[in-house]
Amino acid sequence: MKRISYPELDETLYTEVLENGLTVTVVPRKGFTKKLAYFVTNYGSIHTDFELEGQAYHAPAGVAHYLEHKMFDLPGDRDVSAEFAALGAMTNAFTSYDMTAYYFSCTEHFQESLHLLLEFVSTPYFTEESVEKERGIIDQEIGMNEDSPDSVVFDNLMQAMYRSHPIRVPILGTCQTIREITPEVLYRCHRAFYTPGNMLLCVIGDVDPEQVADMARQVLGTEKTEVGRKLRPWQEDMNCPAGEVSHTMEVAMSMFNLAFKCEPLEAGDAAIRMEMVADLAAEALFGESSELYLRLYEQGLIDSSFGGGFETVDGCAMLLCSGDSEDAATVRDAILAQAEKIVNEGIPEERFQRMKRSALGRRIRDLDSFDSTCFRICAYHFSDFAYFRFPEVYRGIQASEICDFLGRVVRQPRCGLSIITPIAKEETV
Amino acid sequence: MIETISLLSGVTLRVCRDTRFKQGCLSFQLVRQMDKQEAARNALFPSVLLRGTRRCPDLRSITEYLDTLYGASVSALVRRVGDYQTTGLCCGFMDDRFALPGDKVLQPVLSFLEELLLDSPLEDGGFLTSFVESEKKNLISTIESELNDKRAYAMGQLLKTMCAADTFGLPRLGEPEEVAAIGAKELYAHYRHCLRTSPIEIFYVGSAASGRVAELLQPLLQHLERDVMPLAPQTAFHSCPGQDVVETMDVAQGKLCMGFTTPITNRCPEFPAMQVLNTVFGGGMTSKLFRNVREKLSLCYSVGSGYYSTKGILAVSAGIDFDKEQLTRQEILTQLEACRNGGITPEELKAAKEAILSSLRATHDSPGSIEGYYATAAISGLQMTPAEYMAAVEQVTLEDVAAAARQVRLHTTYFLKGASR
Repeated sequence: MKRISYPELDETLYTEVLENGLTVTVVPRKGFTKKLAYFVTNYGSIHTDFELEGQAYHAPAGVAHYLEHKMFDLPGDRDVSAEFAALGAMTNAFTSYDMTAYYFSCTEHFQESLHLLLEFVSTPYFTEESVEKERGIIDQEIGMNEDSPDSVVFDNLMQAMYRSHPIRVPILGTCQTIREITPEVLYRCHRAFYTPGNMLLCVIGDVDPEQVADMARQVLGTEKTEVGRKLRPWQEDMNCPAGEVSHTMEVAMSMFNLAFKCEPLEAGDAAIRMEMVADLAAEALFGESSELYLRLYEQGLIDSSFGGGFETVDGCAMLLCSGDSEDAATVRDAILAQAEKIVNEGIPEERFQRMKRSALGRRIRDLDSFDSTCFRICAYHFSDFAYFRFPEVYRGIQASEICDFLGRVVRQPRCGLSIITPIAKEETV
Repeated sequence: MIETISLLSGVTLRVCRDTRFKQGCLSFQLVRQMDKQEAARNALFPSVLLRGTRRCPDLRSITEYLDTLYGASVSALVRRVGDYQTTGLCCGFMDDRFALPGDKVLQPVLSFLEELLLDSPLEDGGFLTSFVESEKKNLISTIESELNDKRAYAMGQLLKTMCAADTFGLPRLGEPEEVAAIGAKELYAHYRHCLRTSPIEIFYVGSAASGRVAELLQPLLQHLERDVMPLAPQTAFHSCPGQDVVETMDVAQGKLCMGFTTPITNRCPEFPAMQVLNTVFGGGMTSKLFRNVREKLSLCYSVGSGYYSTKGILAVSAGIDFDKEQLTRQEILTQLEACRNGGITPEELKAAKEAILSSLRATHDSPGSIEGYYATAAISGLQMTPAEYMAAVEQVTLEDVAAAARQVRLHTTYFLKGASR
């Protein structure tokens, strides 16, 4: 395996692309008991349109998440969770807009657990009956999200900001779309996207990197199969179809999500640099060390729930902030005005250096978290970037890039605002 | 592994020296008896301390200063530990070895902690009214926004109802109207009183030796006047009549919560068995509740149980369709009955024990989990290290678990259901 050291971070990374196309990445952590393995496919809820073996398919919304649930069934009534539990390992999975991850953590029996992870994610087994039974569970998960103001406020914002990009639809799909999901649909999506060439195995812990790669070879074999070609039929310009949407719910106080549409990122170094520029821009514009944050906080327009950053998904990107406020429209106007001010005045070099030092320090601290590190390595891998190179990217960024970004992005036509207000309590007579 | 040093009367420093991490963590907690009269004030003052010092007079100057310390963080930390409420600050910071040559992080972070604790700007013998008023608003929002998470809200309502005679039913952060009534001068007087009379728990995890940490804390300690009032020991659940509560709201999904009591607390010899029972019954994807209520009957997405070991409360929660309440309730009781009768397979027992052991083994793998375990264990009355705890869990037999289950009694239920739209 290829070994790269990052002495500045006190990290070493082993990586290899196997014959079957799978990338294996291992971050050894000597002296730690916990081991964490992520087996991830570069496939999420937005990838409903694809081409496989020369034919185009459109899958119902929510299929990636449904598939994630059903992967836990194995032939012969085997129960994956119980098998992990018997090994003392904890397993789970999640689906995002553009990634599906299966993982386990353990302190003992690592090899057996790794074998099981690779086996169950590469073994599709769906029956009419088991697929039908899952619908009740996912209906309840959808119901839970419908009662979650954080989910509703974001989903409403995506519908306001995007015309055709599938980020408009919740990751889980809807109670209607999931009724179109059949075993056949699940098998097809698995064949298209759960092929080693579309996946990454990332392990952190006190393990032998070569043994990890060997296990992946042993379970997944050497055959390289076709990866489904993602179709991206959506057309998006940088304007939002609706500027503002509002909804009432059983919440305690009004809350909002506010975002500015950004150009989607491509892959590689330039994209990662843009992401870090955008993160620093968010900090300069409305972070806790910004002039604006202090002013809005002291005026009571935002409170400690306020925060934001840059979000990126395959085919779309946005500068997003959220919080509780009785007057989100005024917060939006203040952000627009402040961006203009920063662009005109520039960012003092001393402040800029301080922001970079802080961002770097926080990322270094974050490396203590196995879960966060594994997640970031996977997400950056699919953007074709080795995550541990972040210090050099930060060092290269100039203050003028922040101003260019803010000047381009923080503008009224790119802005979407989603508000949730409490249900007005009617007086009973 | 953990060094415990008494620094001053009632001031305990616990140090976990570990050079594997890239960051350090230090928590400073004042331990109070949970009390309706002061819970809201205890929850409020840490946030007011974080609003400014005489040198850094506003939020922005504080954040800018922390930015120069490589993005160190200081946050308010308010916990409930059985009968106690702890309140204070928690610092997280990058390890010195990653700083530029000549830069230090730990030493200035601890000096800054001292500044935040002891050098607030004052007016008229109290905190600044502007700070107090805006933090009151913040705290009220935080308390009220529990309603936004229906599962947490439902669980809070269950505990409030079943703990009418126990301080465990008091909300951790106080009630909104209690917060609203707090004045800046009285809050400062209360804070100074707490600083003087409360037992103080300081926990550090990171690469520095205990002697070094104690030395760096000296300037802070020199300025503390101490007149400690000892705390009453932790007590078990104080019972009241049980109830079946139904509340109606405009929601898509119902939340059923069932509160059970047990005489077994974390101070009892049967505690490991009770912990195993909780995991067999409702902890994680191999539990009886998950496998039956969710996987077999497809009644819900989320279902599980939690054991509040300082009090001896076992609470179950499930997110379900409104018309499935009776069915779900019955199934939850059926699964508990199975545990009572020893209807637990060897696989279920092994899985539950392994889950607990695995999480205990990993306690030492992150600064946050180390702090979380040790900073609360001693005051909660849990007198076991993770290693001793693991040894006790290994010994638990199927009959021990069934015996623990037989001591569990249903006390109160709470059901949040939808209004007809």
